[in-house]
Amino acid sequence: MKITWNWLSQYVDLQGLTPEQVAEDLTNAGIPVEYLAPVATGIENVVVGHVKSANQHPNADRLRVCTVAVGAAEDLTIVCGAANVAAGQRVPVALAGARLPQGPIGKSTLRGVASEGMICSASELGLDVRLLPKDQTTGIFVLPADAPVGESIVEYLELSDMVMELELTPNRSDCLSLRGVAYEVAALYSRKVSMQAPQLRTPPQAERPLKVEIATDRCMAYAGQVVSGLSLRPAPLWMQMRLLAVGVRPINNIVDITNYVMFEWGQPLHAFDYDAIAGGHIIVRDAQREEALVTLDGQARALEPAMTVIADPEKALGLAGVMGGESSEVTANTRAVVIESALFDPLQTRRTGKRLQLRSEAGMRFEKGIDPAATLPALARAVELLCAYGGGAIASGPRLAGAALADANTRHDAVRQVAVRADRATAVLGFTVDIEQILSVCERLQFAAREENGTVLVDVPSRRPDIRIEEDLIEEIARLIGYDHIPATMIAGSLTAGGLSNEQQLTRVATDHLIALGMQQVVTYSFVTPAVAERTRLQPDDELRRMIPLLHPLSEERSVLRTMMLPSLLEVAEYNVNRRQLDLRLFEIGTVYLPESLPLQKQPTERRVIAGLLIGQAQAPSPLSESRSIDFFDVKGMVESLLKRIGVDAAAQYTRSMAPFLHGGQAADITAAGSPIGVIGKLRQEVCANFGIDLTDAFYFELSVEALLPLIRERLHVVELPRFPGTLRDLALVVNRALPVSELLTAVRSVAGPLLDDVRVFDVYTGEHVGIEEKSVALRLSFRSRERTLTDEDLQKPIAAVLDAVTIAYGASLRG
Amino acid sequence: MKNKLLALRDVALLRLEQLDLEAWRVEYLGKKGELATVLRGMATLSAEERPVIGLVANEVRADLEEAFVARKAELDSRQAALREQAETIDVTLAGRTPYLGAEHPLRKVIRRIEDIFIGFGFTVEDGPEVELDRYNFEALNLPKDHPARDMQDTFYLTEEILLRTHTSPVQARTLERRCPETPIRIVVPGRVYRRDDDDATHSHAFMQIEALVVDHGIRMSDLKGILLQFARDLFGADQEIRLRPSFFPFTEPSAEMDIRCIYCHGDGCSTCKHTGWIEILGCGMVHPHVLEAGGYDTSSLTGFAIGMGVERIAMLSYQVEDIRQFYLNDVRLLEQFATLTR
Ligand SMILES: [Zn+2]
Repeated sequence: MKITWNWLSQYVDLQGLTPEQVAEDLTNAGIPVEYLAPVATGIENVVVGHVKSANQHPNADRLRVCTVAVGAAEDLTIVCGAANVAAGQRVPVALAGARLPQGPIGKSTLRGVASEGMICSASELGLDVRLLPKDQTTGIFVLPADAPVGESIVEYLELSDMVMELELTPNRSDCLSLRGVAYEVAALYSRKVSMQAPQLRTPPQAERPLKVEIATDRCMAYAGQVVSGLSLRPAPLWMQMRLLAVGVRPINNIVDITNYVMFEWGQPLHAFDYDAIAGGHIIVRDAQREEALVTLDGQARALEPAMTVIADPEKALGLAGVMGGESSEVTANTRAVVIESALFDPLQTRRTGKRLQLRSEAGMRFEKGIDPAATLPALARAVELLCAYGGGAIASGPRLAGAALADANTRHDAVRQVAVRADRATAVLGFTVDIEQILSVCERLQFAAREENGTVLVDVPSRRPDIRIEEDLIEEIARLIGYDHIPATMIAGSLTAGGLSNEQQLTRVATDHLIALGMQQVVTYSFVTPAVAERTRLQPDDELRRMIPLLHPLSEERSVLRTMMLPSLLEVAEYNVNRRQLDLRLFEIGTVYLPESLPLQKQPTERRVIAGLLIGQAQAPSPLSESRSIDFFDVKGMVESLLKRIGVDAAAQYTRSMAPFLHGGQAADITAAGSPIGVIGKLRQEVCANFGIDLTDAFYFELSVEALLPLIRERLHVVELPRFPGTLRDLALVVNRALPVSELLTAVRSVAGPLLDDVRVFDVYTGEHVGIEEKSVALRLSFRSRERTLTDEDLQKPIAAVLDAVTIAYGASLRG
Repeated sequence: MKNKLLALRDVALLRLEQLDLEAWRVEYLGKKGELATVLRGMATLSAEERPVIGLVANEVRADLEEAFVARKAELDSRQAALREQAETIDVTLAGRTPYLGAEHPLRKVIRRIEDIFIGFGFTVEDGPEVELDRYNFEALNLPKDHPARDMQDTFYLTEEILLRTHTSPVQARTLERRCPETPIRIVVPGRVYRRDDDDATHSHAFMQIEALVVDHGIRMSDLKGILLQFARDLFGADQEIRLRPSFFPFTEPSAEMDIRCIYCHGDGCSTCKHTGWIEILGCGMVHPHVLEAGGYDTSSLTGFAIGMGVERIAMLSYQVEDIRQFYLNDVRLLEQFATLTR
């Protein structure tokens, strides 16, 4: 919402205030002023001139040599290149030594004729030419014939007037009018609003009959009056300049007046060509099915019953509150108009506007709600201005319909009573607020108020629909006393121990651990393209293909919610690989969204996943060591270390994985305590290539936070340190190459008896010393007793048991 | 005999540096060495002479042993020096640095803010990102067709299911779940979504942090107290704040909090648009309708809520100009955060 300082000063006393001060105070009162600047700046020595003659330049076809009076003793000779310059015009003249926004103007000689100044165009004056009619922007800016010759253009066009742009919060629709802003400024400085509400008048005889009728519940009030004898011409320049300053395009006197009054009172108005209304009978009704209307913009619109139309008995004339119709548009031939001032249902205006994608100043005001108290004054004001600046005369009595206007003439300002208690205000705000202060705030807001037993009863006028409950008034009190007045105190009440849930704690520890292992945390979007299903080679029946679609995505690339982290990490990898970053260790603890079914019936399960993607060298490059590409066991080591760090007690099992995006021979599903917790492996070359990563191997792991949580130990009982030394035995077992080492270890553990403390693999050998189908696995068994030092004899039995077991189960033999 | 001993000592000491040390030890101090040989002749001495010569002999032995130890130490250290010289490396070569990971800046900011509120006694709450209209809007005093819904263009999945536009539905859920329990002191970080085209300052997905307190006797001044402490923890001990009236459907009264510009300290610069203040967050007293929707008695209970954008704080703190930087995950940018302890 834009306003200007001069315009505002018409309705509230701004004596002794500066625009800068008011802007700051409004901002601190919750009406942020986003922009404050003069209409145009940098203009000096530009005056109104009178073109006495304009003759062809002797040496140039396109130039005219003008004699221009500028209120000085001598007329000036000015060479002008604009096609529209003509004798008799009043025009802005930049005198020699003048300053324009683009720079200074001097005397010059054009094709042999000395020019003593310049006749200016609108854009040379710094005006917003996008809003001006074409004939005012293609050449010089022609002023009205009554423009006083010699007057400074800055004065005449009010170019030094300050434009303020208010960034209104949705609750302050009252400030979508100068009237509302005037009340706000009045409240800030305890001043009075001086805004006369003109009275509706009834002419002695109604020349033009008018009847208004409401036949829908989507219109609360409708007022209309006929003004006749109009002649269509430009609105007075001061009105055009103000509209221009607040961003409204001047069109003609009738339209400009409706816009001007809308800014003044906040009430949108519409002018219908009276002669287009059959029988002078206006009906507000719901649109009929398949009814058609050509709107002002020339578009044929198909109407629906959910829309409200203004109609005569024969046809629709316009869309209520949204846009008028072409058939009743004001044209050069219009002599009489009906001015409409009405209250339409905010929701229907909003929906219709959205439906037809029509946004307008009027529609926006209807959506936010109009003060019913402004409906009739706005009508009266528009009629008054049409008589003054349109040559019009009132041609009908005001015609009113609708419950909201039933007693409009008696009760100008409908009120709502809201009570506010001083002790409640004190309790909410944290500083003492007494009755006197509340009454004083109400007076500043020009709300009638009285005290009753410690409660102030406030009559909130209809211009402030945002104030409905006690808290709203408490905010007004705090706002006008100033938020700076609120002290800073500490919360009273019982102490609480803050903290993290187990899941949050796990997430933090996992994050820190992965970072310590050299991994880089990333944060990716949850929206992906459905094409990731193909790119990751998901089977047609894979549940992960059930990705929830957005109803209105911004792009196909981000149109569904992800069901896996892999595509997100691959996208990051691709971005970085394209920037020659080839050593990547990325992880994210992110969310995937798994619906029970599609179309979506209920909220999906949101599962948190720890996912990592690794590409490149196993170690940071160094001249001291040979480089080596990262491999499966680097990544597995990280996962194992992570599981240990977060306290997963159960031993994790790694079994060959069938995940469609992983390498057939280098991938494992991870389970612990019988439940799946994740997957790890090398990514299929094809999957990498689908994401634009061609040259390098990539490894991926993911762990489900949900699955890990129940596996995490809650306490630690320290194991007593052994008092007796342990004994080691190494066994090199030759087994089939395909035998998973984990199976061998499990077998050893299960038969070695209670003295076995630990067993680990310290070497795996394949090569010439064993058969082609064989490998030698070197195990180190560590035996220990809590009671005594073990002898060789103690170990004979367990070792024999181990050898027996592995021989029987796997045909293992001791390597000689 | 005495002269013999003294002569032996002189010769031995003279030869110490000429012979291999072990050979010298065998020759002079060994069981069959020269000293032992001389001492064997002691038996021929008279009873008067014996203690005198014994004394001399012990003196000579002590001198030789001492010389031996000194020589050995000298040789050892010379040898060590040679070995070290042979093992000398270029200490200016870079070490074998392990890869250095880093926390993502948005996560870093979230953790920092969580920790501040945990210090104030708040627990960290989570909630679903795919939300019901009811929790995202209706329970927060935003009925259907409320014009303020326009402030937040929403990604809908169905008519009733949507992607939350703010973290505030967790307020509604927490109140509903914990009613009539007091006090409520929660802080809620999380991802939210708005149907905005991505540009330098907008992202269709971003992070918010929300805080909520509900209890008997909570005042707006308590809100200001927490905010002041929060701002000082986050931006420095002398940070000033100011509150300006604002509007949120779920708070009344509502406020925006500004901090003194952290770049110009109030003198005015381009970051603060020459106002000396930077808007950081929105807050206010919980709207009675929100408390009622959660089942709380608004006559005796009040509360406050705070909501802020994580990206905004990260952009300010780290001088990042474009919000999209956080989601591009260029490792060259992210790696820089490895160097930041807080
Ligand atoms: Zn600044």
